[in-house]
Amino acid sequence: MTKNEKYELVENYIVENQHVHYRLAYSYVKNKENALDIIQESILKALKSVEQLEEIQFMKTWIYRIIINTSLDFIKKHGRMQVMEEDALHSFLPEQRDETKNLDLYDALDELGEPYKTIVVLRYFEDLKIEDIAEIQKENANTIKTRLYAGLRKLRVNMEEKVEV
Amino acid sequence: MKKIQDAKKRYEDVEIPSELKGVVEQSILKAKQKSKKNGSFKQWGIGVAAAATLFVASVNVSPALAHSLATVPVLGSIVQVITIQEITFDEETYNANLKTPNVVGLENKELENMLNEKYTAENEVLYEQFQSEMKEMEEAGGGGHLGVDSHYEVITDTDDILSISRYEVNTVGSSSTTMRTDTIDKKNEILITLPSLFKNDGYVEAISTYIKEDMIKQMAADEDLVYWVGEEADFESFEAIRADQTFSITADHKLTISFDKYEVAPGYMGVLTFEIPTEVIAPYLTSDYYIK
Repeated sequence: MTKNEKYELVENYIVENQHVHYRLAYSYVKNKENALDIIQESILKALKSVEQLEEIQFMKTWIYRIIINTSLDFIKKHGRMQVMEEDALHSFLPEQRDETKNLDLYDALDELGEPYKTIVVLRYFEDLKIEDIAEIQKENANTIKTRLYAGLRKLRVNMEEKVEV
Repeated sequence: MKKIQDAKKRYEDVEIPSELKGVVEQSILKAKQKSKKNGSFKQWGIGVAAAATLFVASVNVSPALAHSLATVPVLGSIVQVITIQEITFDEETYNANLKTPNVVGLENKELENMLNEKYTAENEVLYEQFQSEMKEMEEAGGGGHLGVDSHYEVITDTDDILSISRYEVNTVGSSSTTMRTDTIDKKNEILITLPSLFKNDGYVEAISTYIKEDMIKQMAADEDLVYWVGEEADFESFEAIRADQTFSITADHKLTISFDKYEVAPGYMGVLTFEIPTEVIAPYLTSDYYIK
């Protein structure tokens, strides 16, 4: 495969999977503008480093990795603005007994921390195989499995604590 | 597992904004502009053999050129830059305007030919690209605007130094500009390269650090200025100059470093040139002959 053919494949893949990629980015920043920024930066990074993608069958996991790293970098730099605003808001409001909200696993994921959150998202929301997640995280499959279970355990504990409060 | 299914649904139900498509397309285009710029950079210097033929051919077909070459011995050691070839193509939305500079009067014919052949080759490549892109556009139904413009400017012309910048402006929708500069020591008749000014590689870091600081200072002073530097950069942050970054030497012996459009800043900032204070690079200079 020539360099140009590879570039074209990656480009087409990016166009075809833009919704999937957007959702993944959004799950980190929870806000439209920032998610779009991440998509833009990820595309520039990916197309600039097409040569580094040695085998085309890793294209999917390679792009996921770029988006995840870009998202995590973004959060490191800017914080998760949307969520912080919400938290601040809650502290001003009278205590709400919104049980369903507290029980929401989608929100609880943000408090899980890395790499657990990413692994849970990829496994259960993106339906990726353990091996693919291992490829994205550059870890071996057993490590990912251990972390996935640890993550689920933590998630259960966090959510049970919330119910008790 | 019900909770996971609910969460997955929320994950999947995230609304896809209408802007997404545009952002994706724009980003792909931008990535291409960047890589195209790097691509054309690699092409500099190829096709020299073909260009040499062209050069000979143009001597044969252009009486003006033949004349200007014939006058070289008469002019003796006066080194100057002339335009030897101008190609213009102007047809509705397709425009090309290519001006080829030529250095004459150097005793060192090897250097003179090397430079002149390079200049001719650059424009030859540009014109070929222009023609093939025009053809592509026509086949795709036409209507797009396509322009290529190359011109040169004598930046410095003193008794010691001659510095010529060539600009290449490509217009396909938006335009990109690349600039390359050659600086010649007229007395010793040698081509000065950036690494040749320095004892070791330390200059790369010294200059890069200075430019980064200057960018940040300039941005703080004027909020209309944007450079891609530091953590806030929209794109890949500027990290370091290339060892062979475009440079020039001013008439008062200061070093300047230049960046192409889009290289370190958004397009509206254009081609950027930074003058480097001599004290920043003094420890690395081979001598104070060129840079003072």
